Amino acid sequence: MRRGRPELHTLAGAYALDAVSDEDRARFERHLARCDSCAQEIRGLREATARIGASAALRPRAELKEQALRAAARTRQLPPVRRDAPAAGRGRRGLRAVSGRGSRLWSPRLATALAAGFLVVAAGMGAAMIGAQHRLDADQLRGHAIAAVLNAADVTMLTATVTTGGTATVLESRRERSLVFTAAGLRSLPAGASYQLWLMGPEGTRSAGMLPPSRAGMIGPMVVSGLAAGDDVGLTVEPAGGAARPTSAMIMKLGLSP
Amino acid sequence: MTDSQGRSRRDPATEPGSAAEPATADLAALLARVARGDQVAYEKVYDQLAGPVLGMVRRVVRDLAQSEEVMQEVLLELWRTASRFDRDKGSAGSWVMTIAHRRAIDRVRSEQKSAERELRAASAQIDYDEVTEAVEATLDRERVRRCMGSLTELQRESVTLAYYGSYTYDEVAGLLGVATGTVKTRMRDGLIRLRDCLGVE
Repeated sequence: MRRGRPELHTLAGAYALDAVSDEDRARFERHLARCDSCAQEIRGLREATARIGASAALRPRAELKEQALRAAARTRQLPPVRRDAPAAGRGRRGLRAVSGRGSRLWSPRLATALAAGFLVVAAGMGAAMIGAQHRLDADQLRGHAIAAVLNAADVTMLTATVTTGGTATVLESRRERSLVFTAAGLRSLPAGASYQLWLMGPEGTRSAGMLPPSRAGMIGPMVVSGLAAGDDVGLTVEPAGGAARPTSAMIMKLGLSP
Repeated sequence: MTDSQGRSRRDPATEPGSAAEPATADLAALLARVARGDQVAYEKVYDQLAGPVLGMVRRVVRDLAQSEEVMQEVLLELWRTASRFDRDKGSAGSWVMTIAHRRAIDRVRSEQKSAERELRAASAQIDYDEVTEAVEATLDRERVRRCMGSLTELQRESVTLAYYGSYTYDEVAGLLGVATGTVKTRMRDGLIRLRDCLGVE
């Protein structure tokens, strides 16, 4: 509506309570976009409404959690919204960052390509990057996580044989409490079954996620964070949606650095 | 204070002995991990938020089965959109509860489009006594109750009818028989008072 309508600001409470029509909401959000103090006020009021809501907490049925974890495991995530400079400047900045800060700084994109290619030799890298390009564009964030592991001072590479065929490679960083998992040559599974990765240690056995589908015989890279002291990595075959606990024997086990 | 959303302390997966991963892991930090596809972090987020989301949605939607559906949708949405969380715009808990509330309200309003709108007078009172199924977040609950008690009756009714009754401010005005301008003001004043009483930023 008209700019500076004095009563618009009084809508803040109703807006924070979602007690507005769609038209009111749109109008108020336009107002918020150019009124910092209003945005600030809304933040505070939202915290208050969230607290009211949270105080009514109920304990959900346990089986809902397993459903939710299975649903998440098969749902693709949105990439972050880019908030940086226009595309024209990006390439050059990226280059400068890489060369300017030395070879230890691997860009996320490069890091993903490297991990995907099992640290392929430089000659093969161009091809690996081109092959992975479309995937990388959507997976920048994951690339950052991979870069964090690869750039860590304590990054270690471990490999293990999968008993049913294939090899698994893990790049781990204690400091980042994360690892990057890749595998090659895994036996393809019947429909209804998939590979599930586990973290096993003093904190218990936790799912580290379902392995993504194989691409040209290779799987990953997949980032697993939240490593706890004493954790090992294991792999099992589970029903397609995943299991809460391993239901079959480990077909690969990798002891991480202590 | 961001992760004070009724965080439950009953997760067996994060019992003692896990110095590396405190049960009180900051929700915003967990969300950042979720955004990178970390399913372990997602499980922790779920443990922290499922209860508060379900409880709130249940008060709005009423039907438990439908509320569970909405809760699951919201938590899956959280998985999908974790990368969009922006801490500059508020705490992670408030972000999630806001999404959940919108979903709950949408569910109620879309249902009411097809059915005769019935007056849900009961929503004027918040029942704090669902002891059996409630998560034992007693401190928080007690504090919210106390702060709600510090509002004027008109403020409290306006806030409650809007938040749990899913009425718009002009509907609330109709229900209470006061001018819409008054209701808008009471909602804002009431929330400001709650905010200050609860000690949120």
